[in-house]
Amino acid sequence: MKILKDKVAKLSFVALLITVTAAMFYVPTASAHGEKSQAAFMRMRTIHWFDLNWSKEEVPVNDTMTISGKFYVFQGWPETVDKPEVSFLNVGIPGPVFIRVGSWVGGQLVPRSISLELGETYEFKVLLKARRPGDWHVHAMMNVQGGGPIIGPGKWVTITGSMASFVNPITTLTGETLDLETYNLGNTYFWHGLWYSIGLLWLVYWARKPMFVPRSIAVEAGKADSLISATDKKVAMGFAAGTIAIIAFSMASTNEKFPITTPLQAGLLRGMKTIEMPAKTVSVKIEDATYRVPGRAMQMTMTITNNGDSGVRLGEFNTAGVRFLDPEVSVDESGYPDDLLAEEGLTVSDNSPIAPGQSRTVQVTASDAAWEVYRLADLIYDPDSRFAGLLFFYDEAGNRQMVTVDAPLIPSFI
Amino acid sequence: MSASQSAVRSRAEAVKASRTFDWLILFTVFFVVLGGYHIHYMLTGGDWDFWTDWKDRRLWVTVAPIVSITFPAAVQACLWYRYRLPFGAVVCVLGLLLGEWVNRYLNFWGWTYFPVNFCFPSNLMPGAIVLDAILMLTGSVTVTAVVGGLAWGLLFYPGNWPIIAPLHVPVEYNGMMMTLADLQGYHYVRTGTPEYIRMVEKGTLRTFGKDVAPVSAFFSGFVSIIIYFLWHFFGKWFAQTTFISSESL
Repeated sequence: MKILKDKVAKLSFVALLITVTAAMFYVPTASAHGEKSQAAFMRMRTIHWFDLNWSKEEVPVNDTMTISGKFYVFQGWPETVDKPEVSFLNVGIPGPVFIRVGSWVGGQLVPRSISLELGETYEFKVLLKARRPGDWHVHAMMNVQGGGPIIGPGKWVTITGSMASFVNPITTLTGETLDLETYNLGNTYFWHGLWYSIGLLWLVYWARKPMFVPRSIAVEAGKADSLISATDKKVAMGFAAGTIAIIAFSMASTNEKFPITTPLQAGLLRGMKTIEMPAKTVSVKIEDATYRVPGRAMQMTMTITNNGDSGVRLGEFNTAGVRFLDPEVSVDESGYPDDLLAEEGLTVSDNSPIAPGQSRTVQVTASDAAWEVYRLADLIYDPDSRFAGLLFFYDEAGNRQMVTVDAPLIPSFI
Repeated sequence: MSASQSAVRSRAEAVKASRTFDWLILFTVFFVVLGGYHIHYMLTGGDWDFWTDWKDRRLWVTVAPIVSITFPAAVQACLWYRYRLPFGAVVCVLGLLLGEWVNRYLNFWGWTYFPVNFCFPSNLMPGAIVLDAILMLTGSVTVTAVVGGLAWGLLFYPGNWPIIAPLHVPVEYNGMMMTLADLQGYHYVRTGTPEYIRMVEKGTLRTFGKDVAPVSAFFSGFVSIIIYFLWHFFGKWFAQTTFISSESL
């Protein structure tokens, strides 16, 4: 039995050593943000990001770039996610590798939370200033209270240079210009250092005398009162009085040095400006939709009715940031991330222009490995197995029109 | 050597052994308290202590002292009743602050690059010194709880004001007024901490206009009194020796 126990102990030790060694020598970069793990219905049926643009792919430290575009707050917002009545426009980056110099929704600065309306489309822009060198996946992102982070498409951006040269100059309303990166650091270290030293002095005062064994014996013997001397009491009074005096002095001197201070600013911004989208002249009815698991393809049967005065063709299906394009109708020229772009991923059984007043039922197939790579196929395991997305139609003059779709999805395993 | 014989042969050896024992216990207490108190404070005080844009005049002032008087009260009870040592609160805060600074410097700054001037810990030392001094001078739990607990709450904000005041200077930023602390929270992106999570400036305490910090501090002090009593008795209960039979002593 003992031999067995020894062996188990020895093997456990060896396993622990191997694990520790492996952890030390194999440290892969964690570079994504879990966007693929987020429930597919969350990505498909909440915030639809489109027309996204990352202004640069390489930025030196201290230089700026923007992420801009539009997002549609889906009308069929799922019941299982809180509505975006309190939301915050964020960016998905691994910590402050950029600083957020500005963010705007509908042209308004949004440093605070905002209220969004279902069924509305908003324009946004985030201005970022490069801070830490490296290759970073930069996402648009919307945090929704009660719903969590809803991460949008991401693109790799490289920051070059040295973080040591990063500066963040700010001019206050009192006229002082400072570097927010290092401002107040010396003051913070000073006060923490001072108070820590005073605390240590108090501890050292008691620790220099015998502590536990003799004092315990004395207390047990009923001589506890003899353990505190008159000097101890004087020292304690000195420490207490000194503490109060330092606080009074430091408060007064701080108020003198900073006569103008304001409370932290908080609050919800309502009434964000929306985009007036072109009036819809195309209507779409989804007859059925299936996801063919072996083929990584979603097939929709839809009836398209053109109520406009120009023929239209379907050019793009956009869901969860993945864009399926029919290259004969729509070509991406924005530098959209390759992994999210299926340039030839959209097939329409008959994509000739639908004439004004005409209705046509067509088979639309959106196929690409992105269904698996981005785990959108996991939709079939979600509590609300409906898909949703944006369809973009183009008329003969090249004008674009957006139509939303929202329907049940049936998986096909054969 | 039989069990009844002493392990030391002279008074000098006894003193040396006793001092060695002192340092061993102090070292152990310091790091055990550091770990326990740090986890407790991060779970209960959390973001209020992490970020400058959470250190407001209402909720931070209220919450931080209430959740931080716990371990000092308990450790005081143990050290005072067993050893008449009046440094329970200070040793707790020394441990907590060391743990916090290590965490903020190595993790927040070293690992995720949040500037230290944005994520430094709150200063709890003034309240701890006064709490220990009152216990020592009065020897009374009731007085320590009432006077010391109140002082713990009242001294928190002024003890931190010299550190945070420079960050409350206003800035005009793209047409909005913010404090420098707000701007830090906006600039240094926290993907998992959206603005709406911040619990600052909330509540109905509007009658006192801008002078709300003292009222919050008084409220915090009152609740700290209750929490002091509660945790003092926890500490006293944990410090009893009835768990060990007399034969094994």
